[in-house]
Amino acid sequence: MKRWLMTLCAVLVLAAAPRPAYAVGPVIDWDPAFFWMPGATFNNMPAGGFMQAVGTVSVFGSPLDFLNATMPATEYTFYINGLNSLGTTSFGAPGSMIFTTFFTGGTIDVYADPTPDAVFAPNPPNLLVPSSFIDVPPAILSGTFTSTIVTTNDFTAFKTGNIEGSIQWTGGTLINYFTNGTGGTCPGLLTGGATWNTAPGVGIPGYLFRHDGKIDLQCPVPAQKSSWGRVKQLYR
Amino acid sequence: MRSPVTTLLLAACAVLSLAPAARAQSLLFDYVGFDYESPNPDPNTFGEPGSGYVGLGTVPFLFAPLVSNTALNEYTFVIQGLSPTSVLPVGSFNIINYSSGTVTIYEDAKSGGTPGTFTPNPPNGDVPGTFTDGTVILVGSLTNFQLVINTTNGVGSFEAVFNATGGSQLSNFPLNQRTGWTFSGTTGEALNIPEGYAHQIDGQTFLDAAVATHKMTWGRLKAGYK
Repeated sequence: MKRWLMTLCAVLVLAAAPRPAYAVGPVIDWDPAFFWMPGATFNNMPAGGFMQAVGTVSVFGSPLDFLNATMPATEYTFYINGLNSLGTTSFGAPGSMIFTTFFTGGTIDVYADPTPDAVFAPNPPNLLVPSSFIDVPPAILSGTFTSTIVTTNDFTAFKTGNIEGSIQWTGGTLINYFTNGTGGTCPGLLTGGATWNTAPGVGIPGYLFRHDGKIDLQCPVPAQKSSWGRVKQLYR
Repeated sequence: MRSPVTTLLLAACAVLSLAPAARAQSLLFDYVGFDYESPNPDPNTFGEPGSGYVGLGTVPFLFAPLVSNTALNEYTFVIQGLSPTSVLPVGSFNIINYSSGTVTIYEDAKSGGTPGTFTPNPPNGDVPGTFTDGTVILVGSLTNFQLVINTTNGVGSFEAVFNATGGSQLSNFPLNQRTGWTFSGTTGEALNIPEGYAHQIDGQTFLDAAVATHKMTWGRLKAGYK
């Protein structure tokens, strides 16, 4: 009886605590985010320049799936700032040319705003961008980029490429949900398609890229040393 | 006496002969999932001759003229029927062109339906089966499908011309508003990619605005061809 109660209590404690984060789907998905970088073009992001982005979260996945991004009362937004270009490198001949631009540094902050007002106003920065995406601190998540790369080209009919970056989470009111089960925090992987298509309804004047992306938690598969005796104990 | 067929043909010519103007595009649906190859004659290579591209996953957001209820239904997508026709290496990247294929969107009730499940090592008993059950609400052809991918880490993107051709909601699309395009990012670096899948994919499909039409007399139309 006592053993049964102890087991029940243990299950309840485990269920109530923030779980180590392991999921197949993205933890944050957005549709869309928009990047801008003064003086840059899709094939030339000069070294030393800084890229920024704002976006609205459309879906939260595990372990943040208790958040409802489509509930009108709360708007979830994010702001990426301080991505420092190392310059653009090209490969291939004109007509089949690929451009890669690495960035160092940069931060990301995710906000929950009970007064929805975010708007992708043209030609940022301006009175609404990024301010309408960073109101109502504190951030629910904060992180720094450990690497970021933008891949573009000169041949895709619809002007499509990729933006990807790695995130080290550093803070925010919900960072405890990103624990990896061994006292650390799972890194994030920001990834997704980017387009520099300026067609009305796709691009917005003053922004360099539209990004359809997400963040995945890069939790290593947990492993721990054990003895055969302990393993056998699990099956008794 | 002009036959109805002739009338329709002339009307179609009138519509097609109009110069396209810059028109706003609209987001039709957003999708996220994984891709793999089937058949996959060389598991160590992506886009090899004889392989087939398959992408599948969920469609969390659908927009007009599609009608959806994401509270009651799960929407899934399957991209298939694509075979590589050429591969051009550029640095560490491959530019892979594919034959025409399709993208299909399914609507499956959350209550009593089968959730899409990324069971490892597809194809298998769950994949693509749990993504293809339910009602086919939209079928679209994909042409000029092109994948640009870094062969060292799977980071890249694909795009294609989209044309709505079938499904239970095809009639929602006006005849002059069935074309568009799709694009997606890809990555092989995510640690949550199930075994047997190649990349995560996360993309959007846009619909072109309706082709503009305007009234014209038969005399003016005929004059345009003299």
